[in-house]
Amino acid sequence: MAKRCSLFVIAALIAIAIVRLDARRAPTGAPRASGIIRGRVELRQSSAEAAPRVSVADLGMGSMHEPPDRRSVVYLDPAPRAAFDTREEPRPRLDQRNETFVPHVLPIVAGTTVDFPNNDQTYHNVFSLSKTKTFDLGRYAVGRSKSVRFDRPGIVRVFCDIHSHMSAFILVFAHRYFALSESDGTYRLENVPPGTYTVVAWNESAPLESRRVVVPDAGGEVEVNFALGRR
Amino acid sequence: MLKSHATRSLLLLAVLIGAAPHAARAQALPEGPVQAFDGKVALGAEVIATGGNADDVAFFNYTDYEHNALRMFRMGVSGVYRPATWLSFVGELRSEDLESPTPYAAYVRVRPWRHRLFDIQAGRIPPVFGSFGRRQYETGNPVIGYPLAYQYLTSLRPDAIPATADDVLRMRSRGWRSSFPIGSPLPAPGVPLISGFQWDTGVEMTWKAGMVELAGSVTNGTLSNPRFTDDNDGKQLAARVGVTPAVGLILGASAARGAWLSRTVAPDSQPAQESFGADAEYSRDHWIVRWELVWSRWGFPHPLLPSDTNTLDAVGTWVEGRYRVSPRIFLAGRADRLGFSTLYGATIGQSGLPWDAPVRRVEGSIGYYVQRNFVVRTSVQGNWRDAGRDRNRTYLSGQLVYWF
Repeated sequence: MAKRCSLFVIAALIAIAIVRLDARRAPTGAPRASGIIRGRVELRQSSAEAAPRVSVADLGMGSMHEPPDRRSVVYLDPAPRAAFDTREEPRPRLDQRNETFVPHVLPIVAGTTVDFPNNDQTYHNVFSLSKTKTFDLGRYAVGRSKSVRFDRPGIVRVFCDIHSHMSAFILVFAHRYFALSESDGTYRLENVPPGTYTVVAWNESAPLESRRVVVPDAGGEVEVNFALGRR
Repeated sequence: MLKSHATRSLLLLAVLIGAAPHAARAQALPEGPVQAFDGKVALGAEVIATGGNADDVAFFNYTDYEHNALRMFRMGVSGVYRPATWLSFVGELRSEDLESPTPYAAYVRVRPWRHRLFDIQAGRIPPVFGSFGRRQYETGNPVIGYPLAYQYLTSLRPDAIPATADDVLRMRSRGWRSSFPIGSPLPAPGVPLISGFQWDTGVEMTWKAGMVELAGSVTNGTLSNPRFTDDNDGKQLAARVGVTPAVGLILGASAARGAWLSRTVAPDSQPAQESFGADAEYSRDHWIVRWELVWSRWGFPHPLLPSDTNTLDAVGTWVEGRYRVSPRIFLAGRADRLGFSTLYGATIGQSGLPWDAPVRRVEGSIGYYVQRNFVVRTSVQGNWRDAGRDRNRTYLSGQLVYWF
């Protein structure tokens, strides 16, 4: 009898703990309005063009390439519970065009499969030696595509084994509360449940920066701006 | 002296590490070139440490710099200054085995028309001939050793020449330290078919349109004896045509001709080194396969009696390949052969002998990418020669390659 009572007490305590934890993430009550976190990520230092390996053995300058579009990614850390809801989204692509990866920065949710189509006039050999995901797609012809599934959260640096100036970043998140900044640096995180969060801004050329932000119960917009890099 | 060389080289290494960009320092090692002035200046570096068993008997892997290609510590700093989109200044300083850094490349690059792939380069320039000479950075070389045509020392020297065929035949397999009766009396290393360790000085032009690339150059030295200053008033003309008929397939043909002997041994004539080359590369999936052939003929101011010829020929050909087993591991190999034309002597080789001892080489290698720009590899190289004190040798070597 005493044993049964003990088990009951333990079960009750666990249940209370779960309810409290859940309440901390998403308070009970009537459905609350979700908020929007928006703002701008400014890069203090000029973002130098990604240079190829200095090769003195070339017979010429080669083709001119567009500098990569070094955008920032803003995300919540940790994310609200709703972030882990599954949602069907189109399969992202990391294209190879004019000896450039397009886009240069691709944020995705863990479990996503990314296509790597070769839409260039030459071979490419897409690979990554990142701890998050190591892969080598080999050389494949123009018009063909290969794909890779990313299961672990983290940062994946992608390169071309033939063209040293080609690089890209795939940021794999465990949730979907992230946003890629626009070309002017603005970003927008939508459907954020009320609560207190840490908002983090990432850019390849600067250290991470984070801010504490509160999304009120009434929802609405919260502005958080970042200035990354050295002053 | 060595100490001062070592100090200078270590200083160079310290500068390299110190120059690493701040963002990259967070990682284990920098991954890209250092940039300054809004990308107008870019600095890169390469450090290669190669170790293996000694080669001071057979000299299969000695270079025209008297270094062993399989036991070499090399550091290089390369830089580009691009004041305008159409103009660049390019250079590289190298130090081998902790000796004083020397300029390996130093040239200006001009693109006269913005939308045409036509470039002019002047100074100490990369070779237009063949294929291997422009991808000799260690990561472009699938194995640790070099192709025989680019490294193996024949007995021929630009500053000392034979009087007879017997003088040539007596030096078979002694290219690491040959001597001849005319010219410099001191024994010295001979020349390879093409020097893979120093570049020539002159002007070159490259034009690319669609699947065709044309390149031509005028330089002071020759393929086997590149020079900073001219020593015989004769220039070398070289040209290459490259075609890419399909994605992944590159075919090339090259030719070169230039006076190769110093005026001290040929004051009244300009005997030439003439060369023809062919190369092919095919890659697909995780494979890359290359083939190259170099034929070379050296002229002399007089016949090499009792033969009636005043030229000596050599042919080097090899096939090499690399297969990436996994993202980090690759296997590579090369099969190589160097042959020589037949020469008839009075006391040696009356019935005819190749004027230098033919060499065959096979090398297999396995490599591991620690990171994209940091490779560790090991290789086994077998060598067979038809003459000499030591005719067969196998070398085991290991190498660390790091670049940014």
